Amino acid sequence: MKQFLLCGAAAILLAGPALAEPGKWTDEPVRIVVTFPPGGTSDLIARILAQYFESEFGQKAVVDNRPGAGGTVAADYVAQQAPDGTTLILGNNAPFTIAPTQFDSLPYDPLASFTHIAYLGASTPALFVQPDSGIASLDDYVEVARTDGITYGSSGVGSITHILGKAVDIDLGIEQIHVPYQGSAPAIQDFRAGVLEAYYDMLAQNRDLIRDGEALPIALAAPERSPLFPEIPTFRELGHDIVVENWTGLSGPAGIDPEMAATIHDTVEAVMAMQPVVDQLAEWGITHTAMSSEDFTAFVGGTIETWAPLIAAAKVNGG
Amino acid sequence: MDILTGFGQGLLVALEPVNLLYCFIGVFLGTFIGVLPGIGSMAAISMLLPLTFHLDPTAALVMIAGVYYGAEYGGSIASVLMNIPGTPSSSITCIDGYPMARDGRAGIALFASAVASFGGGLIGMVVMAVLAPALASLALNFGPTEYFAVILLGLVAASAVSNGSPVKGIAMVVAGLMLGTVGVDITTGAERFTMGIPEMRDGVHLVIVAMGLFGVGELIVSIRANAAGAHQNAIDYARFYPSRKEWKAMAGPVWRGAGIGSFFGALPGTGQTVASAVAYAVEKKLSPNRANFGKGAIEGVAVPEAANNSATQTAFIPTLTLGVPGSASMALVIGALMMYGIVPGPRLLVDHSDLFWGLVASFLIGNVLLLILNIPMIGLWVRLLQIPYRYMYPTIIVLICVGVYSVNNNVFDIWLTLAFGWAGYLMRLFRFEPAPFLIGFVLGPMMEEQLRRAMLLSRGDASVFLTRPISGTLIAATVLLLAWSLFAAMKARRAGRPALALSDE
Repeated sequence: MKQFLLCGAAAILLAGPALAEPGKWTDEPVRIVVTFPPGGTSDLIARILAQYFESEFGQKAVVDNRPGAGGTVAADYVAQQAPDGTTLILGNNAPFTIAPTQFDSLPYDPLASFTHIAYLGASTPALFVQPDSGIASLDDYVEVARTDGITYGSSGVGSITHILGKAVDIDLGIEQIHVPYQGSAPAIQDFRAGVLEAYYDMLAQNRDLIRDGEALPIALAAPERSPLFPEIPTFRELGHDIVVENWTGLSGPAGIDPEMAATIHDTVEAVMAMQPVVDQLAEWGITHTAMSSEDFTAFVGGTIETWAPLIAAAKVNGG
Repeated sequence: MDILTGFGQGLLVALEPVNLLYCFIGVFLGTFIGVLPGIGSMAAISMLLPLTFHLDPTAALVMIAGVYYGAEYGGSIASVLMNIPGTPSSSITCIDGYPMARDGRAGIALFASAVASFGGGLIGMVVMAVLAPALASLALNFGPTEYFAVILLGLVAASAVSNGSPVKGIAMVVAGLMLGTVGVDITTGAERFTMGIPEMRDGVHLVIVAMGLFGVGELIVSIRANAAGAHQNAIDYARFYPSRKEWKAMAGPVWRGAGIGSFFGALPGTGQTVASAVAYAVEKKLSPNRANFGKGAIEGVAVPEAANNSATQTAFIPTLTLGVPGSASMALVIGALMMYGIVPGPRLLVDHSDLFWGLVASFLIGNVLLLILNIPMIGLWVRLLQIPYRYMYPTIIVLICVGVYSVNNNVFDIWLTLAFGWAGYLMRLFRFEPAPFLIGFVLGPMMEEQLRRAMLLSRGDASVFLTRPISGTLIAATVLLLAWSLFAAMKARRAGRPALALSDE
């Protein structure tokens, strides 16, 4: 009886929409498809999930990197797999939020072709300028952009940092000169070489540059200030409603059995609550928010809509 | 003095039994993976990544590095024996290595490649130990204008790589440049020549082009030659070791190749393939034996091997000291370090000096291990050539398919490789050379990207290329090289010799 009560309490605590418990959901090994080549944060998150799925819940899982075409190759592949819980995708903005507007045709539907299961977390980008440029605030930045023009680096056309740059253009009524790079590392290199005046990139990844006084963040695109650098104001506080988050979540092909999806969801939540995982994600500047599968699906649909005009603007202008 | 104490301290770290063991595992695995066509260090390192979670960071880094440069040793083996580049950067080694094998000099070619790799690796290591901080700050001063200027210099040097008709050579460079434009335009996001195929949005992968042109193309040629009753390659068992003359011929190319390789390796964003391509092009301009390049010159094997191996060592400079990965494999190294909470950057040399010097010292040990591993194996590798073609060809095709598939885990790439195979066959049939094509393909996209970025940053002012000191100097060197080529061509013409056609026909 006591045991029954305990189980019941645990179930209520962990309950998603369907009653489920974290644990193994299939006897087959699970493939977590990653839209990037090995080595990035996304890939490492997938590897952490795979590791804990197996060590804590006995669910065998491997990481399958299928990079290409802004994540659409991986998403298309996963959409075509059987919805038996053996193929999942570590999704993000690129294939789900950006691609539907960025590309003229997509082989999949970001909502109808997938079962969006669990939201993992998001990191937020900030606007960085040269510390010795005399720009110390967003107002200074706008001033310089209006008078002399300003060049900013992004991690690529249609990337989240480019879209943030566009949002700033539109909201602040300026026209920054967009200089796309292939990833943020080369952009930061040019910034440090002094040829690039500003760049947008994830706050946490630039921790050392900020501390060494090599890059000055002037505004954060998060809903709230970051615990890492509480002195950096958000765009919102400065009167500009710009929130652009780089989210990651776990999805599968459309039609996964709701009970199985609930098990996967709860297993992911259980892993995300483990201390080593919490610490590691904090290190990478990723904030996890618990979200039900329904909320996550609505979130994906919502970001497609809110971002569409920004992506369209980025696409038309190219630069 | 600081360097010597640092290196000594590193040697102690590298000689710890655990690190020694993982160094051996790394280089052994690297060589093996390198031999397999298309499966490069990238695939091997990503497979090893989960394993490294359980290791000490130094041991993990030593092992990953071992795989990385070990693959460059192994990569040349398939290039020499079967004209199939084991790694993308060893495709340049095919150009002279395979003709040597066809002459029955496969053993010498492999020996030359191992020795040149060793020399290149050691020089790269010394460069890394002595110049890491200085090179890191030089690389920091390399903006888009400088990158454009240095690649332009490389491309002008490369225009001399063709052996046959100069018109065909230039046509091939241009064709390579054109193929390089396929995919999403990095600057505007516009799709170029993708024909609506999603897989083409990222352009054509170098592995696919190299495998198709060299590997599959060669197979088709051989099958036809076989049907016509040709014999398998003769092998001169008596001669695995280069003669005194050949040793001498290799010395200069190894130094020059390693110098060029160290430089390009230290620049994030260029890497081994560019290093070996430029080194080969430069050597072809300088070598007294240039007439034999492309027909089995030992210098043509030594130069790219010295270059790509020194580049694999110096590639760690920007990765570790700036946190800027020059290649996908180096991004993996950063990823692995991040798992340990070690952030690559200027402070790594100070905060984790054990790790840095341990790694540098492991390069010495790893290269010695590789030499010991490779030399006795030469006989075994060469014997592979005696496997009857009816067994060897299907095996090679399977290996190529696996290798190409492993790049993006995508079947489409296999079909694309087949198409390039036929293109390679036709090119051979009509005597168009693959080398300038490959060099144009490697350098073109990078040159375009940097040019357009430089123009954006200067707000459309093209004079930056001349006013910034490093790029100005490089542009001046390019102009001099061009002028010298023209002068040499004119002189040759006056002497009654066809200008750029350096060889047959």
